[in-house]
Order: sequence, then C-alpha cells, then structure tokens
Amino acid sequence: MTAAPSQQSDLELVGRVAKGDRAAVRLLFMRHHARVYRFVARQTGSESMADDIANEVFLELWKQAPGFEGRSQVSTWLLGIARFKALSHLRKRKEDWIDDADAAAVPDTADTPEVAVMKDNKASALRGMVNALPEEQRSVIDLAYYHAKSVTEIAEVLSIPVATVKTRMFYARKKLGEALQSAGFERGWP
Amino acid sequence: MSESEPTNLSHRDEMETLLPFYLNGTLEGADLAAVEEWLATDPTASAALGEAEAEFSGVSAANEAIRPPTDALSRFNKMLDAEAGRERAPAPSMLARIWDGFLAVPSTVAWGAAAAAIALLMVQTVLEPGRPGENFEIAGTDEAAKMPFVFVTFKPDATIADIAAFLGDNGASILAGPVAGGVFKVGIEASTVDDYDRIVGLIAAQPFSETVVPGRKPADGG
Repeated sequence: MTAAPSQQSDLELVGRVAKGDRAAVRLLFMRHHARVYRFVARQTGSESMADDIANEVFLELWKQAPGFEGRSQVSTWLLGIARFKALSHLRKRKEDWIDDADAAAVPDTADTPEVAVMKDNKASALRGMVNALPEEQRSVIDLAYYHAKSVTEIAEVLSIPVATVKTRMFYARKKLGEALQSAGFERGWP
Repeated sequence: MSESEPTNLSHRDEMETLLPFYLNGTLEGADLAAVEEWLATDPTASAALGEAEAEFSGVSAANEAIRPPTDALSRFNKMLDAEAGRERAPAPSMLARIWDGFLAVPSTVAWGAAAAAIALLMVQTVLEPGRPGENFEIAGTDEAAKMPFVFVTFKPDATIADIAAFLGDNGASILAGPVAGGVFKVGIEASTVDDYDRIVGLIAAQPFSETVVPGRKPADGG
C-alpha cells in the first residue's frame, strides 16, 4: 500500500519530484522551507536575500531530484545547496566574506549581550553572544543545535573537513564561555 | 582565528566540543562512549551539559525569531509554474461531466436525460471501480451497496444538522459523496416503489434540497 503523502519520507518525496510530481515538491517546501530560510538569513544577515535564495533552493530541488542518490539526508542536501547559493549571492554583491582568520579582527559586538546582562537575562545574553559569533562558527553552532546535524553532515553542508567542523565548534563554544564569564556569569569552561 | 586544529586539547576540551552533538543525538561510536563515560564519572560534566543545553535554547530562540514570509509557498508555486510550465487541471470525472452537461440544457430535457446519464455512470462505475477521486462504490456485496438510492444536491446554505435530522427521520442516509458538482448518493430504506417515491418526494420538497434525481428503486419496481 502506498503511504499517505503526510507519512512519506523525504526520500520518497524526492523520488516523486524526480518524476515531475509538483505536489511532492510543495510538500518538501512546506517541510523544509522555514529552516532553509533561517539558515540563509543567519548566514547572509539579509532576509530578502534569504527569501530569494530559499525559493531558488527548492527550484534546484525540482531540477536536480533525478540525480539525487539519497546518500545524505534530504535536509542536509538542501542546506548544502542553500550554502552554495548564499555564497554565490554574497560574492555577486561583493560583500565581505568573513573567514576564521578575519573573525579575530571583527569588532566585539558585546554591547548587545551586556545590555541583556543588565536585565539579568542570561538567555537573552547568550542569544546575543551566539549572534555575535563569526559567521563560520555560528553556522556550525546553528547546524548542530538548530538543524540537529552531525559532524559529518555539517562537513558536507559547509564543504569543509570533519576536523574543521570540530575546530570551529571548539572555538565557538570557547568564545561563548569566555563571553559569558566576562559578562559575570559562572561558567566552568574554558 | 585560524582553521588549524587547536593543539594540546585537554580531555575536557574534547568533551566540550562533542557535547552539542551529544545533545542533538548524532554522536555515535567511540565519541558517544567517551562523552557518556565523562558524564558518568566527572563531577563537572553535568554543569557542562547544562551550559550546552542553555546554548541549545539560545540558538533555537535566535533561529525561531526569524519569521519566513507567509506567502512564500504561493510565490514559489509561481516560480515553479514559470520553470516547469503551467500545471494542467485534472480531467473532470465522468459524473462531473454528466452533471455539467445536465445543468447546461433546459430542465425539461435535462431531467429526461438524467436517468440515461446516471445509468451510464452506474455502468461505468461498476466496470471501473475504485477510480481515484470517486467516492461512489455502487458495486459491492454489503447491504448499503444493494439498497435503493437517489442522487441529491443540496443548497449552499443547507446545514448538515437539518439534512441529517430529516434523513434520519425518514429512513434515509447519505451513502457516499459529494463528488464533483456536490452530488450525494442518498440511500432510501424502502421496500416498495411507492415508499421509495414517497420518500424521494419528501426529500425533493425540503427547502435544503436543490436537485433530486432518482436512482435505484426497490426490487418490486423492476
């Protein structure tokens, strides 16, 4: 018996998309659009860019579905497409791309967390500190915490080695810990 | 900050690096065993886990604060149409085509033609059971499939409560529908043609009934 559409796996839906089924691509859009949109918005800092890119990602899904072999999760595949497109858009706009080497020179945007600390709100402070991380560290944090991706999947989405994922995670968490401590919160590490 | 791996990582550093993946459930193998052992044996580990959980909440909140536009799907549909060409409307069902044709001709002629059209529909349904989108299942072995019935459409302002109450009081019930055109198949608990005609007449006289087309009559009606 064929599963009801709502019960079909992402992989099954991609199979239907590959055969030209538009209802299947719409279902995948409804399942994944918000996360793709947020991922791009966090990378680019632009919701209008995220809007354009997220739609492009699902058009790519429509075009590339016949070639999808299911070696990774559909959500990982979509985030990888989103990452590639976001980078392309940023390059086209000639915006500066922040890499880890540049990140050290990024002005500390600790004001926002400090304001939150004044309100004695650790959660808000932490949220501001996460937002203030260098983009490439924040992407790793987002992909692990919000998108529930493994080390290997993050490596795939970002097209970086597994070891680099761990390195970025180490520095991101270390920086968060230091920021919390400097804001007066108890923290056992680093 | 460089991409190079940090040197001289302590065991604590390594565990702190893995904690997010422990929390999101993707850690496995030796890494999972190492974190579980650390959590079980190091008194500082539970506090570290708490800190990671706080980060988890903060990151989730930061992401959820971003609201995608509500019209994203409709705009994507337009892009998809532009990319793949406009989607064809599904072919109308046989009943919808009969019904549309029925409504398009003068009523005196249409009512006369209706019996033949519905007979055609019945034959088609028996020959092609289980067509997608058709709720009718005239062929069957249960009592409902054998009982006399009538085709009915109800006025747009009819309420289900009124219809259900009337049908229940008069030995009738909805067997199937609606199909395209809003047509319902209503079963009639009548053992004679006279009873059947009386109940069908009552249905037709109700303010919620729009059109009533006789279907199968009791066996003594031939």
